[in-house]
Amino acid sequence: MNDIKRPGQGPIGRRGMLRATAGLGLAGAATRLAAPAVHAQEPVVLRYLGTAVNQSAEIATKAKQDLGITIEYIPVTTDDVIRRAVTQPNTFDLLDMEYFSTKRVAPSGNLQGIEARRIKLFDKITPVFTRGVTAGGKTLGDQGTAPKKVQFLTGRNSKEFATSPTEWMSLIPTTYNADTLGIRPDLIGRPIESWAELLNPQFKGKASILNIPSIGIMDAAMVMEATGQYKYPDKGNMTRAEIDRTMAMLTEAKKAGQFRAFWSDFNESVNLMASGETVIQSMWSPAVTKVRSQGVQCIYQPLKEGYRAWATGFGMPRTLEGRKLDGAYEFINWFLSGWAGAFLNRQGYYSAVLETAQANMEPYEWAYWMEGKPAAQDIKAPDGSLLEKAGTVRDGGSYEERMGRVACWNAVMDENTYLIRKWNEFIAA
Amino acid sequence: MDGAGRVSGVKVGDARPVRRGRGAAYWQAAPFALLFLLFFIVPLVLTVAVSFWRFDDYVLTPELNLDAYREMFEGCIDRLPSLCVTFATYLSTLRFALMAWAVTLVLGFAIAYFLAFHVRSVPMQMALFLLCTVPFWTSNIIRMVAWVPLLGRNGLVNQALQGVGATDAPLDWLLYSEFSVVLAFVHLYTLFMMVPIFNSMARIDRSLLEAARDAGASSWQTLWNVVIPLCKPGIVIGSIFVLTIVMGDFVTVGIMGGQQIASIGKVIQVQMSYLQFPVAAANAVVLLGIVLLMIWALTKLVDIRREL
Amino acid sequence: MNRDGDRRPPAFWWLAALFSLFVLFLYGPILAIVVLSFQGPSGGLTFPMNGVSTFWFSKLWQGVGVVDIWAAFGRSLRLGAVVMLLTVLLALPAGLAFRKRFVGQGALFYVAVASLIVPSIVVSLGIGLEFRIIDDAVKALAEGTGWGFLRGYETAAGLYTSALGAHLTWTLPFGLLILFAVFNRFNPAYEEAARDLGATPGRTLRHVVLPIIAPSLVGVALFGFTLSWDEVARTSQAIGGRNTLPLELQGLTTTVTTPEIYALGTVTTGLSLAVIGVALAGVMILRRRRAAASR
Repeated sequence: MNDIKRPGQGPIGRRGMLRATAGLGLAGAATRLAAPAVHAQEPVVLRYLGTAVNQSAEIATKAKQDLGITIEYIPVTTDDVIRRAVTQPNTFDLLDMEYFSTKRVAPSGNLQGIEARRIKLFDKITPVFTRGVTAGGKTLGDQGTAPKKVQFLTGRNSKEFATSPTEWMSLIPTTYNADTLGIRPDLIGRPIESWAELLNPQFKGKASILNIPSIGIMDAAMVMEATGQYKYPDKGNMTRAEIDRTMAMLTEAKKAGQFRAFWSDFNESVNLMASGETVIQSMWSPAVTKVRSQGVQCIYQPLKEGYRAWATGFGMPRTLEGRKLDGAYEFINWFLSGWAGAFLNRQGYYSAVLETAQANMEPYEWAYWMEGKPAAQDIKAPDGSLLEKAGTVRDGGSYEERMGRVACWNAVMDENTYLIRKWNEFIAA
Repeated sequence: MDGAGRVSGVKVGDARPVRRGRGAAYWQAAPFALLFLLFFIVPLVLTVAVSFWRFDDYVLTPELNLDAYREMFEGCIDRLPSLCVTFATYLSTLRFALMAWAVTLVLGFAIAYFLAFHVRSVPMQMALFLLCTVPFWTSNIIRMVAWVPLLGRNGLVNQALQGVGATDAPLDWLLYSEFSVVLAFVHLYTLFMMVPIFNSMARIDRSLLEAARDAGASSWQTLWNVVIPLCKPGIVIGSIFVLTIVMGDFVTVGIMGGQQIASIGKVIQVQMSYLQFPVAAANAVVLLGIVLLMIWALTKLVDIRREL
Repeated sequence: MNRDGDRRPPAFWWLAALFSLFVLFLYGPILAIVVLSFQGPSGGLTFPMNGVSTFWFSKLWQGVGVVDIWAAFGRSLRLGAVVMLLTVLLALPAGLAFRKRFVGQGALFYVAVASLIVPSIVVSLGIGLEFRIIDDAVKALAEGTGWGFLRGYETAAGLYTSALGAHLTWTLPFGLLILFAVFNRFNPAYEEAARDLGATPGRTLRHVVLPIIAPSLVGVALFGFTLSWDEVARTSQAIGGRNTLPLELQGLTTTVTTPEIYALGTVTTGLSLAVIGVALAGVMILRRRRAAASR
């Protein structure tokens, strides 16, 4: 009952209503416990809200087979995931969202802490999330909203993040990876080694960054550092002066016509590169793979300054309870148990529990995707289409090489409001 | 009389017949009004209420304050004559709205004229209308993606232009430019202009045109002095459609402008995507006020409700 | 068609040419969609083309995409049909009401116009908030009363509640304003005559007004359907559980997107054109027969 005293319960603080609901919730739960048989026959249906990144029909089919749980996908845009999470937690049962968004969703009180001890493979979850190091012992850069900063809550109904591991997790990681510049080697014709190239006037009208203000500015910050103009204490959490300075550089580039367009989603980033509208832009690894599978040369270019990483994970809405809650735990446990992880690894993402995923992949697949070795045979996508020919080596090398060189994480800054204002100014400039 | 839509007659002077059943008007308008109450007024009130709340550290607190509005107009007065973001954004939005309006008006009018006066059978008119509608049955999400292969550097248009030797390098400004934004607006909204104008034209009595011709008026004179005045309500209604939609647009400006062109709708969208509901709501309120003023002025020029 | 037998004036040809160009322009993106939908299995969404095949059509047919496109297609089609019907059924009486005078007329007009102005994402958010309040109230009621039929209640938001309402706030202003154009200078003499002959208002509407405005009503219905079919922003926060087709497609763009969506566009366009062609031919034949019979 302690939750009702906090201000700003969701965007509409109808505290009276919530008090009533919370009080009567216990009674309701008791009734449910008393009559479990009534519902026992109905299969659990989980409404799964998220971007389409992890929403594969194959995963839903397999989950249905293995667990009898029906997964109902609700694919929406990144923006809508967060808006729905904050305003309508009752319209979904499972949330698949980006780690940096937890900083915006958790304060709304709409997330419930996930009990670590109910996650069977909790101990096997890669330390990237819990401690910020790779399994091989490399320490990741923790600028920005690094997962370890928002991984744990101080309690089940807490809105605050714990600084050290607790029993309550905000999200259970699903996929993560590191972004860098994607380039068209056929159209550039020389090696690219630094983030500085993004704003190189040579690529005027052929460059692009992400249309998400808090991430687009980090791409710019990478450039700023690469050109030696400024060194940020934390690129993912700038001061107002730093924001001003970075946006000024971006504005100058925009006015000079450096950018062709900003990309908003996976598909757009692929289309811009594949069609030759851009030749250099920040990009996801699977998006580069996709461009290449269309017969267009494209490289996921490791850069000396390192990567900007991101991660997504499952969250549970506060309103989830009863059999659905049990179902959600069951599904998450299944998700971590290997089949789904292998499925995602084969698309170029990284899964949360590596050991179980490895057990579900062919050794040659594991060697190609995770160990950075040349493909022993053709690499196929989950749908059977050819991704890479035998002999290819994955850009950026092994898992350790990639994740070990993460410089910063996608972020929401403390000066978020100020950033948005500056971003709108930048667009209007 | 030529087809069902064409029936019109002599105007009964000013002595508009008194219509009975005024009480019925309430019943007839009630469902319509109720729907807007439930799904527009109430949600809008909720949103506006939010615009007065305080927002910090990702938490919304219900508390009456004007921070959101203050933030919107920060530096707008004291920094004149250089434009603040809000003013610059409104100016840019207004400019696009006027460009889109001008093109859709001319194009929509000409096509409505063609359909109303040159195509004579109603089924044929319907068929041609449907022909214009079919592209809109392919989701806009798909069509927006398709602008890249159409107008991009390696797109159909550039290939065609280079193929016939009109240009020797791809034209960059076909996509992600002000041109492409206006082009997409014209593509999307000409139909919105065309339909009301067409309906106005359908009410014009043919004998009126013949009378004008018999009296020695040239076709331009007939157009200017007879057709256009009689089409004014249709023109105003079409203008309301185009202006209101373009003023609040963010999708088209975003995608076709490469996300680099400002519009007030886009500002609101960016703010909403970062859950800054108060300032987004405040922006929406100001936008609503300004556009309503525009519409009010338009309907002062031509009262579209007078001659119903 | 040219029943009067007179020659076409030059203006006709100019305007016909303009109209053809306009149609070509409207079909521009569709052209790119059709061409690119016939790519080989490794095709993307942009040029250059990657082989030629009907691979993506068979893929579409099997419906094996990331999500169930056909289910979403069906939902959107049904919702569109309901919206279409309600748009006509609500806008027509409202249009008739506006022909008389009633208190609040001006306010209602500006509310309808305002609904077009306020950016759809804002309206959508508002509807989302509203339904959350409703949900909380119902849940409190369920907990309070223990009524069985409310057990397991999740949300009132859904395709035919919040989404339908959201769509109508978008389609109705168009419907109403188009009807303004239709009723503009609509000669009341016909209604007067009917009334003088003793017809009730209902009969006057049915036998006099409706036949005259029928083609325009079809137009309003068409508008309603098309607007609903394509609506994204206003639905985004008001959809509750299952997505409409455009929302589903938009969700899809967050991951690998294939020419399957182009194949969908090609099929939609092809089918629509075929249906219109057949219908037009049917009407033409019918008319010719009727004309022959009456001669």
